[in-house]
Amino acid sequence: MASRRTYSIGVAVDWFFFVFAGLAAIWLAYLSLTETFHVGWWGIPFFLAFWGLLAYLVLPRLHRILTTIYVPDYFIGRTRTSDGLLGDPVNLAFLGTGEQIEAALAAAGWTRADPVTLGSSWRIITSTITRRSYDEAPVSPLFLFGRQQDFAYQQEVAGNPAQRHHVRFWRCPDDWLLPGGRRVEWLAAGTFDTRVGLSLFTLQVTHKIDADTDVERDHIVSTVREADRRVAVDVIADFATGYHARNGGGDSIRTDGDLPIVDVRAVDGGAA
Amino acid sequence: MSHEGMPPAEGAPPIGVPGSAPGPADAPAEPLKRPAYEPAARLLRPVRHDPDMPRPAATVAGAVLVLLRALAGLLVGGAIAAAWQAILADPDVELALDGTDLGASDARAVALWIVLGIAGLSVLLDVVFAAFVLRGSNWARVAVMVISVLSISTAFFAWWVQGQEIRVDEAFASLALDILVLLALSSRSAAAYARRNERRPDPAA
Repeated sequence: MASRRTYSIGVAVDWFFFVFAGLAAIWLAYLSLTETFHVGWWGIPFFLAFWGLLAYLVLPRLHRILTTIYVPDYFIGRTRTSDGLLGDPVNLAFLGTGEQIEAALAAAGWTRADPVTLGSSWRIITSTITRRSYDEAPVSPLFLFGRQQDFAYQQEVAGNPAQRHHVRFWRCPDDWLLPGGRRVEWLAAGTFDTRVGLSLFTLQVTHKIDADTDVERDHIVSTVREADRRVAVDVIADFATGYHARNGGGDSIRTDGDLPIVDVRAVDGGAA
Repeated sequence: MSHEGMPPAEGAPPIGVPGSAPGPADAPAEPLKRPAYEPAARLLRPVRHDPDMPRPAATVAGAVLVLLRALAGLLVGGAIAAAWQAILADPDVELALDGTDLGASDARAVALWIVLGIAGLSVLLDVVFAAFVLRGSNWARVAVMVISVLSISTAFFAWWVQGQEIRVDEAFASLALDILVLLALSSRSAAAYARRNERRPDPAA
């Protein structure tokens, strides 16, 4: 074989169906919206169906198509949502194994988040409505290096599942260096959920985050350090130039751009 | 070729001398740079080979919607059979079975069986497709999507060009089902699941 094809014709066919389905869904949303005004009281469930269609099928698909075109697919210090939108900022780096990081977080009073399944999604909805505690509530998937987070940890606030501290972790690819040349093993994005609201971009029900992401970043670093004095922290000042932006749900973000590198290599991992 | 034949001048830097021979063979001639743009072929890179991938919700949703479409076909077939005499009584409908020597009532029965046969076949096909889609077959997924695209396009042209109204009735329900089937099966997770067994040259290798 002289030159091997690096693209797949099947994937091109998939893209055709992907875009066609997006356009057809826009038409279906239009039809259900116009029908809303023809069917009297039945218009209310029809309007809800229109919102569901728009928020969970049409807008995510449109964003997926458009962000594939306009969002760069390499590291820019931001995570991406499953629709390809820019998500929470990457504001922490870790050195150590996954077990060591998990041990350090568990010792600091953090709880590992459940994976997103039908059961756990249903439980987060009911516990939010009834204001019951659910301290292993799942977090939505965010993507870095084209991968969903490897794991996520969280801390509940006063038994209210609408508010929580949470941080997602991604293992860096082998031999991957931060812009500027430092080697880190894990990157993390920590933000504080303040309430449940509608996403600005997709109109989906989602958690809104606190705009000052530095508070959450410093909270994570200080809890981990206080729990175990062997944890060392080094800060790259102004790693991301202080920026103002929005995350995937349309919430504004402010940060001074510092990137703490938390070294947990001295922690006993895995409790083995 | 090498520098071994001639001893280097005293104190001369080993590299970077103007006019000297090219550097050692193990040093890359050009630093490896990433392109500043992403080539279009990158969008078409094959999906990851992952036979153990768990079945995504989109695939299950797609199969269930195809089954719903089969159920809708069954209901429509039943409605046609129930109203068969009324449909034929419509003066606009003329039953033409050329080359047969059947009586009028026999011809009506044969025509009904033909219509029901076609409807039954499409229902059966949908059930088979749903089973294969659930098992993660890619050809079944593509076939279902092609049928949906044809059906949606037909409905769209009837609506756009001929001004046919799509109200809350069977036409709306079947169109909505077709579009939802297409959305579910064209999603990235459903596509990755259907292609999980494809072994392609890894572009990174």
